[in-house]
Amino acid sequence: MVVGDVTTGTDVLVVGAGPAGYVAAIRAGQLDLDVTLVEKDAYGGTCLNHGCIPSKALITATDVAHEAGNAEEMGIHADPAVDLAKMVDWKDGVVDQLTGGVEKLCKANGVNLLEGTATFDGENTARISHSGEGQGSESIEFEHAIVATGSRPIEIPGFDYGDEPVLDSKQALALDSVPDSLVVVGAGYIGMELASVFAKLGTDVTVIEMLDGILPGYDDDLKRPVKQRANDIGIEFHFGYTASTWYDHGDGIRVEAEPAEQAATDGGQAEAVEAEALDLDAEKVLVAVGREPVSDTLDLDAVGVETDDRGFIETDSRARTNVDHVFAVGDVAGEPMLAHKGSMEGQVAAEVIAGEPAAIDYQAMPAAIFTDPEIGTVGMTESEAEEAGFETIVGTFPFRASGRALTTGETDGFVKIVADESEGYVLGAQIVGPEASELIAELGLAIELGATVEDVASTVHTHPTLSESVMEAAENALGHAIHTLNR
Amino acid sequence: MVREFKLPDVGEGVAEGELVSWLVAPGDEVSEDQPVAEVETDKALVEVPAPVNGAVRELHYEEGDVIPVGEVFITFDVAGEAAEAAAEPAADEEAEVADEGEPAGDPGATGTETGEVETPDDRVFAPPRVRRMAREEGIDLSTIEGSGPGGRITAADVEAAASGGAVEADAETDESGAAATAEPEPTADASTAESGGAATGTAGGGQQIQARSTSVESADRDRTLAAPATRRLAEEEGVDIDAVPTDEERDGEAFVTPDAVREYAEAQRQAQEADREVIEAGEPVGEAEKGTEFAPGERERREPFRGVRKTIADAMVESKYTAPHVTHHDEVDVTALVEARDRLKSRAEDQGIRLTYMPFIMKAVVAALKEYPEMNAVIDDENEEVVYRDYYNIGVATATDVGLMVPVLEDADRKGLLQLSSEMNELVTKARERSISPGELQGSTFTITNVGGIGGEYATPILNYPESGILAIGEIKRKPRVVTDEDGTESIEPRSVMTLSLSFDHRLIDGAVGAQFTNTVMEYLENPELLLLE
Repeated sequence: MVVGDVTTGTDVLVVGAGPAGYVAAIRAGQLDLDVTLVEKDAYGGTCLNHGCIPSKALITATDVAHEAGNAEEMGIHADPAVDLAKMVDWKDGVVDQLTGGVEKLCKANGVNLLEGTATFDGENTARISHSGEGQGSESIEFEHAIVATGSRPIEIPGFDYGDEPVLDSKQALALDSVPDSLVVVGAGYIGMELASVFAKLGTDVTVIEMLDGILPGYDDDLKRPVKQRANDIGIEFHFGYTASTWYDHGDGIRVEAEPAEQAATDGGQAEAVEAEALDLDAEKVLVAVGREPVSDTLDLDAVGVETDDRGFIETDSRARTNVDHVFAVGDVAGEPMLAHKGSMEGQVAAEVIAGEPAAIDYQAMPAAIFTDPEIGTVGMTESEAEEAGFETIVGTFPFRASGRALTTGETDGFVKIVADESEGYVLGAQIVGPEASELIAELGLAIELGATVEDVASTVHTHPTLSESVMEAAENALGHAIHTLNR
Repeated sequence: MVREFKLPDVGEGVAEGELVSWLVAPGDEVSEDQPVAEVETDKALVEVPAPVNGAVRELHYEEGDVIPVGEVFITFDVAGEAAEAAAEPAADEEAEVADEGEPAGDPGATGTETGEVETPDDRVFAPPRVRRMAREEGIDLSTIEGSGPGGRITAADVEAAASGGAVEADAETDESGAAATAEPEPTADASTAESGGAATGTAGGGQQIQARSTSVESADRDRTLAAPATRRLAEEEGVDIDAVPTDEERDGEAFVTPDAVREYAEAQRQAQEADREVIEAGEPVGEAEKGTEFAPGERERREPFRGVRKTIADAMVESKYTAPHVTHHDEVDVTALVEARDRLKSRAEDQGIRLTYMPFIMKAVVAALKEYPEMNAVIDDENEEVVYRDYYNIGVATATDVGLMVPVLEDADRKGLLQLSSEMNELVTKARERSISPGELQGSTFTITNVGGIGGEYATPILNYPESGILAIGEIKRKPRVVTDEDGTESIEPRSVMTLSLSFDHRLIDGAVGAQFTNTVMEYLENPELLLLE
């Protein structure tokens, strides 16, 4: 107890108001629990403020500009001028609308909102330090706690986000002018999405990646159209390099990169791994090498919660930590670091606390990457299904055979469905192409419902739409595709 | 660890139960299956057993409270685990989150979708709502065989697993309606200790409910292996060897030992003795317990309308407003039956069985049902079909001090008078003690109700819906009747006469059939030797 503290009590203390925390808080409120939600920064967390939403807003806006300037084939001749400051203002407006909505929803569901940083004081107490001089702190007693503190960008040695030319993803999304040149460190989904944004705004973008290809963890056939498009819009790649340092040479910065010490590969995308050290001149450098959990600000030891060696809080199928009355949800609770996974975990945690029979037992966790073209995945890949012991059948459909894709001018990519040969159950799907992030939802539902490829193929899909491609891929798996050759 | 225990469904479709008494207190150590509470459903008083070994942490309701099925009513600290503040549902699925993707910190780390890598045999195909149902029921989905396409698990599969059965077509409900009267000890001429009334029976399958009954349940086998001496013993004890419960087998067939016969016979005797004591003590069976007396000056009193009474009411309404009732009345000269029963009564008593008129009436009814199968049929409204049944389960409406119940004698066509008598005595006793199990209150195909015990001649019984027929029998009275001798000479003689009131579902049965059915019953009752041919 700190002298001057005011102690209040609550059934459920939720730390962090991102998509995992605020969903947990709202659900707990709906279940008639007394809920207190503590947020140190902004409602909506990384996703709404610095991640998913602002990046998607800028991707959409830059796509409009880029497409308008590259539509001569359609008879459109334009040279769009981009006012990045205005674009960012618009994006900020979208963010404000959403974060304001989150706050309203929390209040409407009876959630007590507290601004500050939470640290655990004991098994059932936490101290909330309010930001701002003289704001003091207060203690709060809780029956249950839900840790939803999220993640933050990883820093690499020699690149301090506090230095002006060095950007993390949050800072990159808040630039008010388009840099002439940009080095992107990391070819994961964040690096690739933002590399595309700036390349389309006219920035000279160079990407360096420690591994031998883009988008580690994804199959080569999915990555190929993305890599091709990136090359087409002028992005330059150097694989097998790690960024070692940078310095300001008076006319911009120079990023030095060295060959990766170990020949790290990601399953064989054949990229030439260079052996010479690199000097890359640029105006800014964006570091996007991944994210790490925010679990070191809470004094978890005080409540007895353990983390793994990477800092993630380990949880069971009910989002429960090693301490029975403490739950963890979202990025801080481990991979995959996806907002929708966090939201689902948040709901489960709230329901478990309320005594409901909830559990994390999804059959498939979808994921989307908003590269150009988009990638959407759900469930098992062909090789994962085979590793799991399934005899598989695969159906594909290329967007170049889709009437609707042709009418949009976006024909790169395909839909691929993986199914169990004996019963036809849909086990997974991978889509690369226009609106892949939306199209994947149908196949997620198919997996959850235990649908078969026949079910998908026999469901009438609207013409002319991109969603027909899902039906066609299912038909292809059955060997009777109409609009493509059956393999 | 804290385990919350929710009130299980103690019978198919039971929505709530009244907590009659706690059998444990906070802090008590309990072992799995140890009864922790007595809960009265709309059918019976049941003991609810503990699902785990542990210590009682908290009792969430007070005696007298009505607990909705599915609500947590007791929590346990599970032995050997630390207490926790939140409950953990019983289901214990593994999270299917695989840490894929590269370690955070590596350049280009991305969150990849989870890849649950299990063998296909472990893969369960079921939609989220079905998974939730399984968690609610504490069922491991991998133990269920799915009935959907390709073995997909459906909601019905989980429901069936929860109730301990397989997926079936619409299970027949068992609400009944019958005229409600109580029935005291029969007079010299009165028939039975069973009494008229309605009951409801709902199926309860697979629940861990233990009825209070200490009597031995009857088995129902077609074939039993036993030593000749054992068969002789069964004969001496007056029990049907096929009805003696046994866990022993020889060559895959049930095998009964002399001890099992003695135990069963003793249980039967106790049941009948209890029944007799109730009647001889003149306890007011059939009268629902009255509430508190009016306070001085009190003009009205309100009491909850629930439990058995409410269930009976609901069943009555459903029956009366679904099936168009017609009631056919007649009276039958049962002088010969009275004489036959008098001759047989002492023989039965030598075997420890109190022979009433009801088994004779049952056999007569079964003979008539065989002749008029529509009376043993039901209408399946949903499928617009008539379901004819080639089995004869006779419900006997019984008055209890909480209301009316209909214990069911299964396969009455295959049982002799003594076995019917002993089984019926046992069931009636259990019904009155409220120790009867839901399974013993379901599955009747036709119901008999005795309305003559208290008074009156005729009734208009309400069908034990969805059955198509119910026969109300009046008290056997000595009445003057015109008798014609062999020479054609008429005279008035005192005869034993019983009234019959047959209600039937006019959607399925015409008046002529109802009358013919009654005539057949009468023929057997007038000439009981005909029953020897059945």
